[in-house]
This record gives sequence, C-alpha cells and structure tokens, in this order.
Amino acid sequence: MNTDPVLADRRIAALAALAIGLQVIEAAIPSPVPGIKPGLANVITLVVLVTLGWRAALAVTLLRVVGASLLLGTLLSPGFWLSLTGALAALAVLGALLRLHPHHLSALGLAVPAAIAHTLAQFLLAWAVIIPHPQLPLLLPPLLLAGLITGVVTGILTASVLADPRIQRHVRDSSTTQSG
Amino acid sequence: MMRSLRWGDAVVVALATALVTTSFALGYAPSGGSTHLVVTQAGMDSRHYPLNENRAIQVEGPAGITEIEIQPGRARCLRSPGNQGICEAAGWLERPGDLAVSLPNRLMLQVRGARSDFDSMHY
Repeated sequence: MNTDPVLADRRIAALAALAIGLQVIEAAIPSPVPGIKPGLANVITLVVLVTLGWRAALAVTLLRVVGASLLLGTLLSPGFWLSLTGALAALAVLGALLRLHPHHLSALGLAVPAAIAHTLAQFLLAWAVIIPHPQLPLLLPPLLLAGLITGVVTGILTASVLADPRIQRHVRDSSTTQSG
Repeated sequence: MMRSLRWGDAVVVALATALVTTSFALGYAPSGGSTHLVVTQAGMDSRHYPLNENRAIQVEGPAGITEIEIQPGRARCLRSPGNQGICEAAGWLERPGDLAVSLPNRLMLQVRGARSDFDSMHY
C-alpha cells in the first residue's frame, strides 16, 4: 500500500465526499417514519474500514457527519448530535468486530451490529437528553427492527462493492495485519 | 456476493433478530384486561371499583343520577341525565384506558388495568 501522506489524505477526502453525497441525497428522500432511514453512507464507512483501516474510517466518518450537517444546515442541532453519536457507536462496534473480518464475518456481519449500535446509541441519547419521556422506549422495538433491515441492506450493498476486483485487491486481512 | 458470506454472519443476524423480537415482546406484550373502574367527579376524590363481579352503582351529580353497570372485566354507563346520550354511547368499557364521560354530571368513567395502554402514538 502506498504510504504517501498526501495521497492518503486525498483518498480520505474523496471517500468522505462520496459519503457526504450519499447522506445528502438520502436526506432528500421522504421517510414515512421520523428516525428511520437507510444509512447508505455507512456503506462507505464499511468499505473504508476494511480497505484502509480503522483510523481512516474514523476520519471519513467525522468528515461525513460534519460535512453533511454543514450542507443540510443541521450543524450542532439535535440531529447533528444524534448523527455523531450513532456514527461513533457504530464505529466502536466495527472496531471491535474488525478482527473477525473476513474469515468469520463478511461485510453483512459487520453492518448489522453497526446498524443496531447506531440505533441504540441514538435512542439512548434521545431518551437521556432530548426527549426524556418515560414511555419513549415503546419506540425502540420498531427502530431496532428498522436498524436490522437497513443493516442487512447496507451489508449486502457493501459486500457487492467489496466483491468488485478493483476494490477487492485493497481489502486487508485484519487477522494477520495490524489495522489503523 | 454469496461466496463472501461467513458462518459468523448467520450468528450475528440470528442474535440481532433475537434482540429485535425480545424488544417487541417486552415493549408490546398485551397488558391484560381491565381490573378496575375509576369514577372521577368534579370536586370529589376519584373512586375505584373492582371489575370482578356484577354490580350496579349510582352516582349523583348536579344534573341527576348516572347509573353504572359493572360486569366481570368491563363496565358501562347505563343511564345518564345528559340529553345527547354521549355517556351511554361510549358502550362497554373493556380495554384499559377506555372511558365514558357525562358532562352534565361532571363525571368521567375510566377502566384501567395493571398497566396503562396508549390510545395512539404521535410524533
């Protein structure tokens, strides 16, 4: 792998731009239920994670959350904090599971726990800070179901992206090489 | 795509499905039937009546007497002085949270269970 820092920065910038684009497009799609959306930008996060490692995935994710919130006008609003919390929780889970990829878990097995962690963390933040209502947990089951479904969808999308030979040759075997 | 799937994926998806199922079971388990009737009248403490046997209750209010009929698990407003019959039209109150109101008698009847249910959820 090329270790030129300028090239590495450009790579991260380009991938973050892709993720921001996906998130902005997704924000334009009307959702029948608030709080549920496909989370397509997570495909980019997953691809970055298994090709460039955990640090690059963190950089792309932070750039994506801040960049998309600038474009959508939600910077520092509750939606921004929810987005940031969900993204970081998903990354933490991905970091823990990364060593199981690709021998024991495929992208699908990474995407589903990440989506569930994303949903749970957002819910806990919303419940603790934004809407501390005692009955709010009644919303959690449908949100978790949505997280499971969107996790499967993004996992399948990620697996097909990673199956592309042009990307496949960059995929790291995290069980033998140190990521990050 | 299929070739890239691993056994761990099945474990992960099964665990996630179990989590979702458990959350639905915990959050939306039926709360059982109604166990008591709460009669609230303006200016008075609310009174509770268990829904365990047939009985009739009469409540006196500013407009007259409201007759309440109780059967095991349900209650209804049998007769009330209001001339539009709104209290009677509420029918049998069975599910926790069901209520009947008599405005002329400043009276509200509501059945409740062990746990309160929601009429609906809104954002």
